[in-house]
Amino acid sequence: MKKLKYIALILAATSFTACRKQLEEKPYGFLSTANFYKTEADANSALIYAYSILPDLDYYSRNFITLTEAPTENMEIAAGKSADNVLLDKLAATSVNGTLRPGFQLPYVGANRANLVITYVPGITTMSEAARNEIVGEAYTLRALHYFNLVRLFGAVPMHLEPVDDPSKTNLPKSSIKDIYDQIISDLTKAQGMMDQVRHVGRINQVGAWGLLSKVYLTLASAKDTGSPGYDFVTNADDMYAKAKEYASKVVNDQTVYGLDPNLVDIYDVNKKNGPEHLLDASADRTGTNEGLYSKLPKMFMPNLNFKLPNKVFVPGGFNEFLTEAALYNSFDNSDKRKTQLIISTIYDVGAGNSPFVGTPQNLSITDAYTRPFSNKYNDSGWQAGDQTSCNTPILRFSDILLVYAEACGPTLEGYNAIKAIRTRAGLGDLPPNLTVKQFRDAVLQERSWELCFEGQRLFDLRRTHNMENILVNKYGKTITGDAYFFPIPQSEVDRNPNLNN
Amino acid sequence: MRTIFYTTFICVILLCVNAASVLAQQRQVTGLVTDAEGITLPGVTIVVKGTATRTVSDVKGSYTINAPGGATLVFTFIGMQSREIVVGAQQSKLDVTLQNATRDLNDVVVVGYGVTKKRDVTGSVGSIKGSDLNRVPSGNVDQLLQGKIAGVQVMAPSGQPGAGATIRVRGYGSRSDANALVVIDGIPLGDAGDIKQVNPDDIESIEVLKDASSSAIYGSRGANGVILITTRKGKSGQARITLNALTTVSTLGNKLDVFRDPVEFATINNESRINGGEAPQYVGQKIGDFYYPSVAELRGIDPSKPKWPYYTDWAKLVYRNPVSQSYTLTADGGNDKTIYAISGNYYNEQGLAIKNGYEKYVGRVNLEQKLKSNVTAGINVISTWTKNYGQGLSVDRNIIFPALNDDGSYFHIGSNDYGNPLQIANEVLNQSKTIDLLSSAFVSWDIIKGLNLRSRISNAYGNSISDNYQPRDATGTGYQFQGFGQLSNYSSNHLIIENFLTYDRDFGKNHHINFVAGTSYENTNVRTSLIQGQGFVNDILKNENLAGATTYVVANNLTRTVLESYYGRFNYSLFNRYLFTFTARTDGSSKFGDNNKYAFFPTGAVAWKVNEEAFMKNIPQVSELKLRGSYGLVGNQGISPYQSLSLLGSYKYFTDGGFQTGYGPPFFNDGTNVNGKVFNGLGNKSLKWETTRQLDLGVDIGLFDQRFTISADYYYKHTTDLLRLNQIALSSGYSVIQINDGVIDNKGFELGVNAQILQGELSWNVGGNLSINRNKVLNIGGGNSIEDTGVIEAIRAPLNYFINGQPANVFVGYMFDGINQVDGNISPVDNAVQKAGDIKYLAGGPLPVGQNGEYIIGNPNPKFTYSLNTSLKYHRFDFSAQVYGVQGNDIFNFSKFTPSAQLQRWTPDNPSNVYPSVNSTRVNYASTWYVQDGSFLRIQNVNLGYNFKPNALKGISNLRVYFSGNNLYTFTKFNPSYDPEVGENGQFGGNYRKPRAYSLGLNVTF
Repeated sequence: MKKLKYIALILAATSFTACRKQLEEKPYGFLSTANFYKTEADANSALIYAYSILPDLDYYSRNFITLTEAPTENMEIAAGKSADNVLLDKLAATSVNGTLRPGFQLPYVGANRANLVITYVPGITTMSEAARNEIVGEAYTLRALHYFNLVRLFGAVPMHLEPVDDPSKTNLPKSSIKDIYDQIISDLTKAQGMMDQVRHVGRINQVGAWGLLSKVYLTLASAKDTGSPGYDFVTNADDMYAKAKEYASKVVNDQTVYGLDPNLVDIYDVNKKNGPEHLLDASADRTGTNEGLYSKLPKMFMPNLNFKLPNKVFVPGGFNEFLTEAALYNSFDNSDKRKTQLIISTIYDVGAGNSPFVGTPQNLSITDAYTRPFSNKYNDSGWQAGDQTSCNTPILRFSDILLVYAEACGPTLEGYNAIKAIRTRAGLGDLPPNLTVKQFRDAVLQERSWELCFEGQRLFDLRRTHNMENILVNKYGKTITGDAYFFPIPQSEVDRNPNLNN
Repeated sequence: MRTIFYTTFICVILLCVNAASVLAQQRQVTGLVTDAEGITLPGVTIVVKGTATRTVSDVKGSYTINAPGGATLVFTFIGMQSREIVVGAQQSKLDVTLQNATRDLNDVVVVGYGVTKKRDVTGSVGSIKGSDLNRVPSGNVDQLLQGKIAGVQVMAPSGQPGAGATIRVRGYGSRSDANALVVIDGIPLGDAGDIKQVNPDDIESIEVLKDASSSAIYGSRGANGVILITTRKGKSGQARITLNALTTVSTLGNKLDVFRDPVEFATINNESRINGGEAPQYVGQKIGDFYYPSVAELRGIDPSKPKWPYYTDWAKLVYRNPVSQSYTLTADGGNDKTIYAISGNYYNEQGLAIKNGYEKYVGRVNLEQKLKSNVTAGINVISTWTKNYGQGLSVDRNIIFPALNDDGSYFHIGSNDYGNPLQIANEVLNQSKTIDLLSSAFVSWDIIKGLNLRSRISNAYGNSISDNYQPRDATGTGYQFQGFGQLSNYSSNHLIIENFLTYDRDFGKNHHINFVAGTSYENTNVRTSLIQGQGFVNDILKNENLAGATTYVVANNLTRTVLESYYGRFNYSLFNRYLFTFTARTDGSSKFGDNNKYAFFPTGAVAWKVNEEAFMKNIPQVSELKLRGSYGLVGNQGISPYQSLSLLGSYKYFTDGGFQTGYGPPFFNDGTNVNGKVFNGLGNKSLKWETTRQLDLGVDIGLFDQRFTISADYYYKHTTDLLRLNQIALSSGYSVIQINDGVIDNKGFELGVNAQILQGELSWNVGGNLSINRNKVLNIGGGNSIEDTGVIEAIRAPLNYFINGQPANVFVGYMFDGINQVDGNISPVDNAVQKAGDIKYLAGGPLPVGQNGEYIIGNPNPKFTYSLNTSLKYHRFDFSAQVYGVQGNDIFNFSKFTPSAQLQRWTPDNPSNVYPSVNSTRVNYASTWYVQDGSFLRIQNVNLGYNFKPNALKGISNLRVYFSGNNLYTFTKFNPSYDPEVGENGQFGGNYRKPRAYSLGLNVTF
């Protein structure tokens, strides 16, 4: 009996009072929404996190350029490179295309991060209202940018306006194209009233929000005007042109922070990221530790050789995937500086080792199957070795908005002056006078192709002006398989979001 | 009743008295009882046949008994064959050697928190004695299990020293963690795959708990089977020192398929580039600063140039015939109060590739002390140190150019070449060192008759430090970063506190009860840190001063998991014929979501010992006939911690002149996950364990006193709530969430047979086992298919898929439809215009994956695996052999277009329909062209030994020498240049070659 007592005692001592508390997890090294978003530093950090998606290789540092340039006459995917990219190039991407997938996903990752800022930062009372507004305004602008990209790429898509913080919130139905544009306009209108004009490389401010808003209105205006599919809901094209002009005019006329850079090459100089044209860049730096912090985008354009650029920068072998198309190359006037300065047609042998000596020049031919003249817009003069470059991808540039202004104004004096500034810088003469509205806007569109090639604009310009068939098929003899105006929503979204079509 | 008792009692007394009076007239016989290895045996019962005279050998194995001349002495001992020996007329000394019993039903098997007699096992437990493991160099225990136990599949495709293996017990039943749980001396250590902590020489036995009833004692970790490793303990009554030494010479097991003629290499290279639309290189030109000779120059028929003087046979430079060694020194023994076993092992395995090797030291102390008549305490400590260095090296490199420049520096082909294997071997630092310390202490208290309480505290500590440095000149990564160095640390501590009661008692003649009930608390901390430096002034210091780097990557992490459990097993035996087992465990795990913290796993088993029935007594040939059946639930909690929580991650963005740090969800993992980039951090509060329901039906048959035995099992495992990362809507902003969804079935049949064909002076034993498993994905959730890995660059798509209704990991792709013999066909895969010599594909398959309708083109799961072994003993010689086979699996051979195959390539003059043309820019897709039969039969091990006569040398009681050959030959239709063993996904891309090993071994007992 005594022994039994001992047993009972020992068992009691050694067993555990069922203790759920022991099973609670306290994660090490991770913040949670419960202990974050408390201070101004937290708020800044949350915004930085939202920005950090932009230079991801699956967003502006590669994928976005592939999506928006390969299908056009600007750029061709080299044979033997990514099959999905080749299909995009051939305007035959289907819903299983692997390049569309990140193109669809990454804007949502960015929007979710922006939503966190929009949701939590207004509750941080320990910071000034101005600082709070600046941060929330930038987040609204970022959200608008992501949905502007999504709606232009894919049309009607789900639209998350709150953070996704529970598995039950992951599947939303599509919002209409109209609703998405309404939200974008609402976000940007709100944002431009919250921000100042202080510049930070890689971040957007009030001027950027104006510029973006002008582009949004111009998209609606021109799409309605030309009968581009999907934009029937727009009630009046002229109203939209007027809005586009209003906001572009703020950028062109109502601020002194930004302007045209007199030297074309300087725009893309990694040492002049604070130059006058950069309303918003996806910012990268070669001291980063992974791609996304640094950019490999230049290598996508460059030949698969060791060579030296005319500025003596040594290039340790490009990926040779993005080939310049003859259609674009031959469309330039031979004296156009955007051809002579921003497309590299001559490279040099390495010479002895990596010394500054520049060896024999090699002229690149636009008809070559593999090694062609390539864009000089992504070129790091401080390139050390390997893949790391400091090349930012421009998202919003002053000359882009100047051309938006011209297009919105039409063949008026303001319009002619705006395009003249661009053409003069490129070393070209004026447009013929007395163009009709359509002729003028077509001329602006052509100017945009020269000015903004390889910067992720051409596909959207062709789509919003209902020109996919006119230019790509009729003029350049391409074949379009499937919807020319909206990419199919990736199959992985269709498979996983049961509410998509509800 | 009472009368019968008294009658018996009186009879016994009378017998004793009677015997005593007889004894007085007889003389004494004395002697020593030993086993076949010359080890003395205490506790052997010796009876004078036909009398009640008996004695027991003492701790030194000697005995004394009174017996008349001509009497027969019967020696019996558990686990040994009984012997009857007639005492000579004048004989007073009689030494006896007992042989191990073929397979004794009284053998005990370890079953987790206890042992049971083999004959009383109700579940399905595979068991192997340490002495039956092959004597081969192996850095871990996993590989030694290959082919040894039915239902246990060991896949060890790599021949690299220290490489791990994949162990699957009864098929592949989990997408998150299908590894068996390893338990060493009661310490649940974790996943199988690299059981490096135990020296094979120290192993007493390995048991594998296969069915639900036996593995349920490990509850939420038992679903994929449990491997119990028990190390040797000392035996009371002996004190011995044993030395085991093994020296091994390895050679390349396969003939290499590489280019041997520079002309062939250059011709094919030129042709490949021309076909790919590129300029040929070998035309006697400089590209950049680098000169490529022409084919004519290589042939020596270019009148303007001397014959090209170089040819490099890389295999000669990179491979060697390495010598590996293993030494174990053991001291063990004990008396009636204390037993001990102390051992030390040094292991050094050298790889086929130069500068690649693995070293290990294992020390072990096992000590048990009887404190009181009913209290025992003990400790068990195993410490392991390993060092792994170097890497596998390629022998496929360009043979046209030399390995070294004239000045002794490494030769590079052009300016972007970082593949010189000699340079990689000599200059790339790649080394990891580990320390493991398993320790446990227990107190065992026999409280009352049959009732025992055991308290055990155990700790498993593991630490590893890895050093890596890639100089700028030696590798692509080194060049990209201008020197790339890394130092990573890992340490884990796993604390286990257990208390369990065991009650074991007969109630009357007909009832026997054995139960175990206990609690355990486990706490695991895993801590990691990494420092990476990118960009160094020079390569001299390697990773010794990471602070000198231009850019750093720093990462640290800690995970803590708690497992709190209650378990019990109740065995009841009725009439020694009907056996019932109920086992259950409740696990509370911190990994599970708030809504599901505790899991309960109940199982039951029954067995019927038919041979004990009265009606079987007439058939004495049947020594065992047992029917077994079990059913129950076991679990798997193989997920990382924190998956049920929502987490914020950090990343950087360059603004205001520097990188700023941001925090937010989702955090992303830029690793090698499905589809590359993974955005995760969305928690699932309902996360729980996987549940496997398993039915097992088995039969054990033994004939002629267990000379012939058969054990067969059928099982059906139904796993639900599969833990997996679910790909969620892209529009959520997250990629994945850990969920419970999906169903996988495994059905199978296992057969083990053994026949002691000859006994006596010449003994011959033949055995074998067969495992058949059929795996089927019933529901993978989400869509109807899920890819196992991301896009594989070589085929531009994922390869392995989980598809409803199909086996796990099937290959998906297109059909090979021969080779295009004319230009102009349109490929149905990518709509490209094909050329003559390109592979013709058939698309339009039924699968909803890929661009254009794909097919299931292969199944990497074998139809069955099998093993046969035989052993012969004659006098002091012994011989054993084992073959191991895998049948009916498909291999996706990325290396199919070997140099010898390229010589048979399609050309206009050789319109092959088997091999395509060579083409440097061709885009390849997965097709049946790559799929090959992976069946093989390998002569795994041959062993020939000689045992010297005990005490033949002074001071040496036992001496054995043996030769062991491992991986001697493989019969296969697979590419003969490679070993056909592949991993679970069936992909083959050129593994570290498996060596053929010849070993000489020595066992000495002092």
